[in-house]
Amino acid sequence: MAIITPTRTTGARSVPVNMTEVPPDVTMPLEALQAMAPDAGLNAAFLSDMLSSFLAHEQCGVHLYRTVAGSTANPMLEAKYRAFLADTERHVEILMRLISQLGGDPQYVSPTARLVHAMNTHLLQGVVLANGSADELPREMAMLEAVMLAETKDHADWSFLASLRDGLPEGPTREAVTKAVEEVEPEEDEHLGWAQKTWQRMNTMQVTSSTMMKVTDFAEKAFATVKSAVTP
Amino acid sequence: MFNPLEHQGMAVDDQLRSWRELNVEPYDKLSIHPYSRSRIILMNGIEVESILFSHQFARHTDNPEVRQKLALSRRIEAQQQKAINWLSPGDETPLETTIGYEQVAIDLTAWLARNEPDPYIKQTFEFGLLEDFDHLYRYANLYELIDGQRAETLTQDLTEIMPGRPTAVEHRNPLDDLRRHYDRHTVDPLSRLHVLTLVAGEQQTMNYYMNHGPDFMEPVARGLYLEIAEIEEQHVTQYESLMDPLESWFEQLVHHEYNECYLYHSFMDEETDDRLRRLWELHLDMELGQLRVACEMLREHNGIEPEEILPPQLPQPTKFQENKEYIRGVLASQIDLRADGLDFVPVDDLGAKHRSLEYMQRVNEGGVPTEEVIDRARNDGGEYRRELLGEHPVESLRASASAA
Repeated sequence: MAIITPTRTTGARSVPVNMTEVPPDVTMPLEALQAMAPDAGLNAAFLSDMLSSFLAHEQCGVHLYRTVAGSTANPMLEAKYRAFLADTERHVEILMRLISQLGGDPQYVSPTARLVHAMNTHLLQGVVLANGSADELPREMAMLEAVMLAETKDHADWSFLASLRDGLPEGPTREAVTKAVEEVEPEEDEHLGWAQKTWQRMNTMQVTSSTMMKVTDFAEKAFATVKSAVTP
Repeated sequence: MFNPLEHQGMAVDDQLRSWRELNVEPYDKLSIHPYSRSRIILMNGIEVESILFSHQFARHTDNPEVRQKLALSRRIEAQQQKAINWLSPGDETPLETTIGYEQVAIDLTAWLARNEPDPYIKQTFEFGLLEDFDHLYRYANLYELIDGQRAETLTQDLTEIMPGRPTAVEHRNPLDDLRRHYDRHTVDPLSRLHVLTLVAGEQQTMNYYMNHGPDFMEPVARGLYLEIAEIEEQHVTQYESLMDPLESWFEQLVHHEYNECYLYHSFMDEETDDRLRRLWELHLDMELGQLRVACEMLREHNGIEPEEILPPQLPQPTKFQENKEYIRGVLASQIDLRADGLDFVPVDDLGAKHRSLEYMQRVNEGGVPTEEVIDRARNDGGEYRRELLGEHPVESLRASASAA
């Protein structure tokens, strides 16, 4: 089962770095981090750290999609967000499986993963906490932009894994990475492509629509116009 | 087994009380159990923290729905704080209240340290414990000096009164008051509750001293409050730095509300005063309703299910109880520890030019009020101590050693 929010209760482990304190019983031993993907000839500790951060980004993606799906006033956007939420939950499972197959612990939250969590938290909080500064349409655009930014990073993560796979020797690691990439990468292409296209279309509609240029009934008409620009 | 998430609690809209309900009958300062007073003092601090946190949160958002929900819950928290703090009687002097505050600081910190699962956080608690322990001794001497009263009438000998790490050497460079923080992903839920509780308690103590110090006419009292108020600021700096700053505002709000549920639930079970037990019960019901609102916001605005970040049941309760032997053990083994950056080291490991020694020399030049109060007491019939389990465990801090 996918773990969306790793905590002590779920069995999360980490390493103390700089300002962080991690109790000894949940500290991930360095040897365990160095044991990942022994057949691949890679910097195993770095790989452990990086895959943990990729997983963190997918987990934060679930938080993001849950939030925007529940907040949008546009039924078509909501439907898309919910579909991508389901995809992203599956991506979490696939990444957890991959980490396990490579000999890692999917409950490991690396220092880089903490930073990824922090960046995602602030991205989402930016959308939510400044919500009173704008009307409905800019709020929709902000949520969509958050999705586009998150999907950009997500796409980069999986593209990187695909290119890493290309350089791996034949063996269990290459097989596991290949399977995960094949399952996920097409969906990441779809997510990012949709987010970019929808963002462009909604902006185009607003900047060129004659309805939008009129001051009267601006908000309602503008929103109705842009709603129609979104395709499921 | 109690899981706050399984209880609806009182709806926040139903929680408003009248002035008549809030203007409660004060307790009798001579007959109240010291630990009932301790619970009142602590929960006042907990409610103050909840109000201040909510204000800070509100200043970081213009989301109208979030602001409205915060404002509504905050007004109720403010009423809860009044209902608790107005239990304090008018005939309890600020100095008597102060002795109550220090008894809280000692027996709360000792309990938390004894039950703290994280070794580093436990060490931090024990380090602070010896400093608050010393404060009670200094204030108790002031109490006898200016009021002619003995502090054991208030503490009822549940807590020993004797020197801890001398306040004069507690003054540190601010860089040596910072600590490493727990990680939101790996922290034991009990550790988070412990830290939240202690931050609120020490913050209230800091606020109380910084505001009540000038109430006194006597220069020795004014000086004593001034000096110890500064240490309490150090303690707030220390304990708050243990908290993971990467938790979102919504997560922090949920943890605040959860901690209030945890403490009211803890105290409801152990309270010996029927009237207070009913108050803790009522406030638990209210907090459950406030927690529900906080959880809804977490779910809606952070996409996080509260069950994902909260434990499946409340951890073991926090209790006020005697900790004499435990404290003696900490005194004997840790009296010479000092803070060096994020860590604790033996005093002999600090170089002569260590920044905290220079800081200490700077603030102590020209006299140290916490020493002056003891000197005055010795010249006025002898210093006050309540060493109930025998002589002081640290030879250099025994009365005979001090007199020599």
